[in-house]
This record gives sequence, structure tokens and C-alpha cells, in this order.
Amino acid sequence: MKTKLLIFILLSISAVFSQTPTAVDIVDRVTNVMSPENTYSKGTQTIITSSGKERVFEFESWSAGKGESSLTRYTKPAAIRGQAFLMLNNADDIWSYFPRTKRVRKLASHAKKQKMQGSDFTYEDMGGGDVFQTKFTPTLLGEETRDGDLVWQVELIGIPDLEPPYPKIILWVRQSDYFPVTLDYFNESGYNTKSLVLSDIEMIENYPTAMTMVMTDNKERSSTTMRNLEITYAWEPPKGFFSERNLKK
Amino acid sequence: MKFWGTILLLPGLLLAQPEFFGYFESEADVMQLGSTRYNFGYNKFRLDVEVRPSDNVLIGANINIQQYWGKTTWNIFDFVPGYAESGLVLNVDLPDTLLLDNFYMKLSFPRFDLTVGRQQISPGVGYAWNPTDIFNSKSLLDPSYEQTGVKALRLEIPLGDRALFTAIAQPEAEIEQSTQQYAFNVGLGRFDFSLTGSLQERVDYSVPILGDMNIKQRMMLGGGLVGELLGWGLWAEFSTNDLEMESPFATFDYSNLSPLTPLPDQTFTEYVLGTDHTFDNSLYFMAEYFHNGLGVAEKDELSPADYLASLGGQSHSLMQDYVFMYAMHPTFDFVTLSTLLFANLNDNSGTFAPQLDWNAFEDTNISLQGSLFWGDDDTEFGLQDWGLRLRVRSDF
Repeated sequence: MKTKLLIFILLSISAVFSQTPTAVDIVDRVTNVMSPENTYSKGTQTIITSSGKERVFEFESWSAGKGESSLTRYTKPAAIRGQAFLMLNNADDIWSYFPRTKRVRKLASHAKKQKMQGSDFTYEDMGGGDVFQTKFTPTLLGEETRDGDLVWQVELIGIPDLEPPYPKIILWVRQSDYFPVTLDYFNESGYNTKSLVLSDIEMIENYPTAMTMVMTDNKERSSTTMRNLEITYAWEPPKGFFSERNLKK
Repeated sequence: MKFWGTILLLPGLLLAQPEFFGYFESEADVMQLGSTRYNFGYNKFRLDVEVRPSDNVLIGANINIQQYWGKTTWNIFDFVPGYAESGLVLNVDLPDTLLLDNFYMKLSFPRFDLTVGRQQISPGVGYAWNPTDIFNSKSLLDPSYEQTGVKALRLEIPLGDRALFTAIAQPEAEIEQSTQQYAFNVGLGRFDFSLTGSLQERVDYSVPILGDMNIKQRMMLGGGLVGELLGWGLWAEFSTNDLEMESPFATFDYSNLSPLTPLPDQTFTEYVLGTDHTFDNSLYFMAEYFHNGLGVAEKDELSPADYLASLGGQSHSLMQDYVFMYAMHPTFDFVTLSTLLFANLNDNSGTFAPQLDWNAFEDTNISLQGSLFWGDDDTEFGLQDWGLRLRVRSDF
């Protein structure tokens, strides 16, 4: 009798610990994993068009508040050297700076849908924060194995009143560390317009970090690869860093 | 002395690892004006250097070398309706230039920035017009083109992350003649607001034929806002101005020209209202309306002096009411199609200008712009027929 009771208790404990998390839990964990408090990085952005033409950009980027505030400054190519973008409130507020005219211009939120320097990333795609948690309703669709990793498939349906960046996103989340390895973006018609694949995942200062991100536009047949050349989460923003003053520096 | 100063400064500049950059730009234009077709253009080389001796100091300078070709002498009267065939000649030459343009030092203190020297100053939120900009004038065919520098001292004091106080002084030979401008910018919610005030004690406009026109004092109070409403970008910029004239054109008479009326002291208002939107298909659209109280309201009231004074930079526009529209779409790989349209609502003339921009190689852009003018022959834009502009630019 004692043995049966022990087996029952062990099975119960095992069941509790092996229970599949809810979609909300997964999205919460994904948000935590993807949003370190502060980040500084240097990277490249390579655009490859459908006809095979290539353009390479280099940039520096700073973010704080789990991606709520960010500043990106291009260093190459020469034509856009010094151009910078300040995004606050999860990219709801965007300012751009043009060094040739020394002019700062506030962009309306519709500008979030514009391509960053003609790439397949929009400004909105670059905004971090808790957008998956706040502007979508998640549903766990299932699990499968991708590239040897057990992943969950989570569907995010945008809440129309909250102006989500996309009507629908499907996330493929690695079960081992809650890191999303693929994001499929859909339009209103249900067409998979873009796909983002995160790879070369390294553990940087306790955060799994994709050193390579490839966004593919499934309609245009173009792609943009962003590579981290240097990244740290130990950066602390000085007071007033995310300001128009610093945007112009 | 300047030579030795440069020699002495040079090692310091080189040790501070200067960054050199700039561009070469070549432009070719064809313009049909009446029965005559003109060819003209320029080659321009701009070299910038920036040095950061320390984290808190930035020294920047650029030189522009510009060579004009084709038609380099223009008769201003060709652009004054009714006077193109008058035989009156007032030639303006476009000589080749070597210009030390911007030349400044920016010092960043913990609580403020101070920029001293010839520098870009671009106040205002408007795109095609800026009522609060007393330093520059824009070309409607290319409003975002860089401006020449302004010799000034600029103090910027941040008051929190989204508030900034700016004071600009443009020194003149006599300190009381110096231009002063003060601006306070603050962000509240989804909008940025600004208040601007400026005082110019004496403004000398070199108006063709008429010579210098002196404004004894110009006071301007203005402001602006930029934000969004219902998913559309929205901005507004305004200024109210008081002009106290010192030596208005009182007695000018030139051959067949009508006698000019003296310009009295004036109070006038300028404002710009603008909106923009990016549609889901990446089409970007912008529109602006501009009202200039200093402009002439009726076509019949225009005199050659108004044209000449407008060309001399006295006013932001010839007449009172204008619209500007711009649409742009990234249509093909590294090819952007755009079109702009501006119209003078007072004389019903305007311009439609489609443009193709091609990023042919990394850092090299080729743009082709056509312009079709409409309106009667005695209107601001109807005087011209059409134009074509090819511009190639390579940055380094």
C-alpha cells in the first residue's frame, strides 16, 4: 500500500513538472528571453534583392527598458553615414536625424511600417518590448522537432483595437530555453508575407542571443540578414541618452 | 597668419584621427522657357572632415567646389512675366566657386551643448516651407537639399529627455545688429511642440536692380507642433512678423517699369499645415498648405518689384497661398518612384514633377526628374514650360 502511494505521489509530481506550459506562459518567457534590460550592439545589415543585388549597411544600436527605448545610428555606407533613429515607447514614437541637414524630424507612427533603409525589416520589427504580450492573443498549436530542437508552435492573433504590427504571427519557440527560432508574419488575407529565422544562437551574458537574423519577404523574394558583430547586455544608458540631444551627436 | 595657424593646427587635427567623407555630384538640366531651350548644370565636390579630439568636442568643416556649365548667365527679367521680351537686362552670373561652408566646433558640457562657427541651422517642422526659418530659403523642386551654413553661436540646453531650449545668435559687425533666435521644444504625449521667437535688428536684402533694402527691425514669434491624428502624421508651423522698414523703395523708376510703391511697415502671418501617411503597400504621401501674409494676394497686383524682392529672399513666397504634395513608392529593387506637385493657388499656376531615383551602386544614386509647368504666361510658374534634370551623386 505504501509502495502504491509512493508511486502515485511520484507520478503526480512528474505530471506537474512535465506539464506543457500555456501559450500565455510561453509568450511571457519568450518576451523575457528576447528583452534583456539594456543592450548595445554593432552589426551589419545585408539586403539581397530578388535579382541578387546586394547592399551592406553597418550600424550601432542601443536599447533600454527591455527594448522600450532604442537608438540606431548607421555608420556605413557613406551615403547614409550618421543617419540615426530614436524610438521610444516600443517604437510608437520615432524621430529621425539627417546629418547633412542637421535636421531632426518626428515621424508619425505609420512610418513604423516603412522599410528600414530599404531592407525587409520595418522600424516596427526593430521595436522590442512586450508587444507579443500586449497586442496579441496567443494559442498553442502544438510541438514538433526543428533542426534537432523540440519547439512549440504558438499562434499570435493581433487584437485589432490595439493596432498590432501584424494581424497574425506564428512563433516557433525552442523548448529548451524559450528562444524563438522562427517567426512567420501573416497579412489580413492569411498570406505568410515575411519570415524571420534566428540562428547562430550563442549564450551572451546569460541571454541566448541570435548572432544572425534573416528576414525573408516571401512576396518580393528578397531577404535581409542582420548579423551581430559585437553585443553586450552589460551596457548602462547614461541619463538622457535616449533624447533628441543624443540623436544628433 | 592664417597659413601658419593652419600649419600649427594640422598636427593636432591629424592626431585626433579625422574622418573624411563627402560626395561628388553632377547635374544636367534642360529647361524650356518660352521659345528658348536652355542647357545648364554643374559639377560639385563636397569634402567634409570631422575631428573628435575628445568625447566632448566635435570639430567639423566642409568645402564645396562647384563648377557650372552651359548657361551660366541668367537675365532675371526672363522670369518676370511680361518682361521677358522687354529688352531689359539684369544678368546674374553663376561663377565657379570654392567655398568653405560649414566650419564649426561643438562643445558638449554635461548640461548643455555649445556650437560655435558656421553651421547648419534648420528650424521648423514644415517640409517645403518653414515660417520660423529666418536663416534659409528652400527650393520647391528639392526642399530637403542641404543648406549653406550660418555663422552663429548656438546654445542648446536639454530640460529633460523631451524638452530643449535653444538660443542662437548670428553676430554682425555691430552687436546690436546681431540676430537672436530663441526656441523651446517640448514633447507631450504623441506631439512635439515648439515656441520660437527671434529678433533681427537690421536685415539687408540685396534686391536685383533695386539695390539694398534695409529692414530696421524684424520681430518674429512663432511655433509649431508635430504628431499624429487618426493614423496620419500632422504638423503645423506658424509665425507672426513685424517688419519695420528703414529705407523702403520709394522713388525707384526704371525705364518702362512701373514706379514702385514704398513698402510700409508690415505685420504679417505665415503658416504651414501638413500631413503624411504611409499606406500598407509602402506608398508614402505628404501634403502641405502654406499661407504667406507678406505675399501678394491677386495676380493683377503683382509688380516686377515683387518678383525681384521675392528672388532676393525677402519673402518665403511671391504670393499668398500654395500647396505642395509629394508621393513616393519603393517600386523596384533600389528604385524609388516619386512625384511632387506644387501650385500657386492665387494665380492658378503650378508644377508637376515626377522623379525616378535609382541606387545604381552602393553609395551612387542617379535621379531623373521631369517638371511640367502649368498656368497662364503671366503667372509665377506658367512662365516656364517644362524642365528635365539628371543628377548623379556618389558618396564616399
